[in-house]
Amino acid sequence: MSMRATLAFATLRRHPARTVLAVLGIAVAAALLLDMVMLATGMRESFRSLLLTRGYQLRVSPKGTLPFDSEATIDGATAIVAALRANPDITAVSPALGTTLALPGQAFPSVFTLGLEADVQGDYVLEAGRDMPVTAGPSAPLPAVVNHTFLVRTGKRLGDTLTVAAGIDAQLRTAARNRVVVLTGEGRFFYVPAETPVMALPLPDVRTLLGPEYRDRMSVAMAESRLGDSVSVEAVRSWIATTQPRVTAISTETAIRQVEERLSYFRQLAFVLGAISLGIGFLLVATLVTLSVNERRGEIAVLRAIGTQKGGVLRQVLLEGFMLSGAGITGGLFLGLITAKWLNGILRDFPGLPAAFDFFLWSPEAAWKSLALLLVSGTLAGLLPAWRAASIPIIRSLREDAVG
Amino acid sequence: MTRWFSPLVVGAALLAMPGHSLEAQGDSSLAPTYGRRAPAVRGIAIDARMAEDFGLATGSIVTLSGKPGERGDSVAVAAVFERKADPAEVARREYRIRTHLDHLQTLLDLDDRVDRFAVGVADNVPVDSAVARINHVAFGFRAHRSADVAVQSSRTFRVVERFHRAIGLITVVASAVFLLCLLLLSVEERRRDIAALRLMGISQGTIVRSIVIEAAVVSVIGSIIGAGIGWISSLIVNAHFQQVYRTPLLFALLTPEIFAFATLTSLALGIAAGAAAAWRLVRTPPLTLLGR
Repeated sequence: MSMRATLAFATLRRHPARTVLAVLGIAVAAALLLDMVMLATGMRESFRSLLLTRGYQLRVSPKGTLPFDSEATIDGATAIVAALRANPDITAVSPALGTTLALPGQAFPSVFTLGLEADVQGDYVLEAGRDMPVTAGPSAPLPAVVNHTFLVRTGKRLGDTLTVAAGIDAQLRTAARNRVVVLTGEGRFFYVPAETPVMALPLPDVRTLLGPEYRDRMSVAMAESRLGDSVSVEAVRSWIATTQPRVTAISTETAIRQVEERLSYFRQLAFVLGAISLGIGFLLVATLVTLSVNERRGEIAVLRAIGTQKGGVLRQVLLEGFMLSGAGITGGLFLGLITAKWLNGILRDFPGLPAAFDFFLWSPEAAWKSLALLLVSGTLAGLLPAWRAASIPIIRSLREDAVG
Repeated sequence: MTRWFSPLVVGAALLAMPGHSLEAQGDSSLAPTYGRRAPAVRGIAIDARMAEDFGLATGSIVTLSGKPGERGDSVAVAAVFERKADPAEVARREYRIRTHLDHLQTLLDLDDRVDRFAVGVADNVPVDSAVARINHVAFGFRAHRSADVAVQSSRTFRVVERFHRAIGLITVVASAVFLLCLLLLSVEERRRDIAALRLMGISQGTIVRSIVIEAAVVSVIGSIIGAGIGWISSLIVNAHFQQVYRTPLLFALLTPEIFAFATLTSLALGIAAGAAAAWRLVRTPPLTLLGR
């Protein structure tokens, strides 16, 4: 360790109580800053990775709506899907029809159901059992993939059967259509809240269950552009918007922008609290180093009298600020990760949030940049007291120290 | 993402048709029309945000359809309503219209269907027994107590409230450490003064009390200044977010309870820090404090 570092370390060790408090203060400020950076960047990145889970960069929804933001559906779905699939720039299209089906005789009255094409679906990943076929026979039990919540709440297991019904008439107490369903697989659904029971059935069979008016309808379709860069995706989106006037095509970037608008409160809160954390860190180091320098005027005057250059004194005082900030930031990194997990646990309770969505996401680049900013800010906080220390009038300070 | 139980939202293609206007009808056109012939042009009510964005006013004629691209019905804007300051809707930028129930059912081809209806029970009927009786005969629907619905729909705000409390706790810890550090430093800086007082014969108790009083005064003054900064910040925050979300909702509020909590916390921390620092100094021999 160099002489300068040894002196700086000795100065900090001379007052352990104040040093510990300062390091603790900087650690809390660093933790808060880290959390706020994770909050500001986490939502965006988490949502992006959620949307791109299965590679689909585009969502096609009823005109003027976001996917599953209303009960509106798209008519003429077959023709629209066929037109999209005919475009060589689109490699895959996954249509989905969402609805609520009644569950006669079960613990809960209805289940959110997705009608999907199994070979192109991007809504779930199978975790146990068998996947559903593209379509089932007209009389055979409908194969269904359900989530864990569904199995827990119904008390059913894979292989069990139950009846689903649609077209409920409350006055006649009848269902217009019903089918026996066999639970073939358990899946993890990306876009459905973990606490919501959900069932996936073959799309044609869901349309049949819902009746003639749904025979050619879908709620949303996901499309994958052949080229994944934003310019190509935007070109495909623009083509869909031009050729399909009854739908709205949304790219991942647009969806992220719209969600960011809705959640801008959290981003701005993160910015304000992050700025306050930086300010607290700066003030703590500045106050501590200033008082430390005032206490050691005599000592600094002696150093100057025995030949230490102004630059040497300046660097030593700056080193004190650097050491304080460094120690605080190291502690703050661990504290920040723990508090981020705690805060994320709180916000994950938001109703209707997809299970895979996180508010606080560790982004190494953003986190290191923010902590480096705090380190620089803390080090620079010592600049003014360091300059004052280096400019101490040697003779007067020595005399004042000797006389007391 | 999934909002299947949300109230019906009309996938409405709305087109303002300037040049046509009806007499202003106020809210009366939305009143029930029992025993009267329905007017040829139905009235709708639109929210103020929509009226402002589309340049609509009472009497404007617009086209309303249930599906994009369809011809739809010509309807008159009969009323413009202000939306409630509802936190649940604050981030949603959609427009709202209100129509007669039968009008919407016709537009959406929903024959005699509703999403929900409210039931008022007589004063002498317990709500729970009414709910139980309805659910006993219900087929394809369920009755819920309004209180339960309110609890469910307020879950978002309870999560936000818990998050704010957690952030508040972290901020209080950070502020407490900062305050303790500053008071400790400010007391320790006066080692020579305290040594001189001790040498003059001032008792340890008197010195501790004076430092504690000083710390308390500094804490209270700091709290008042902090509250002032907080109040100004809340004005800026409210002005900004009210403009961003176009809502009269208050996002930040400085209440007497919050001010009292902040001041008392600061006072307690100040007194504790002042007492701890003063006690450490008065126990040190005066000559040691003077560096002799």
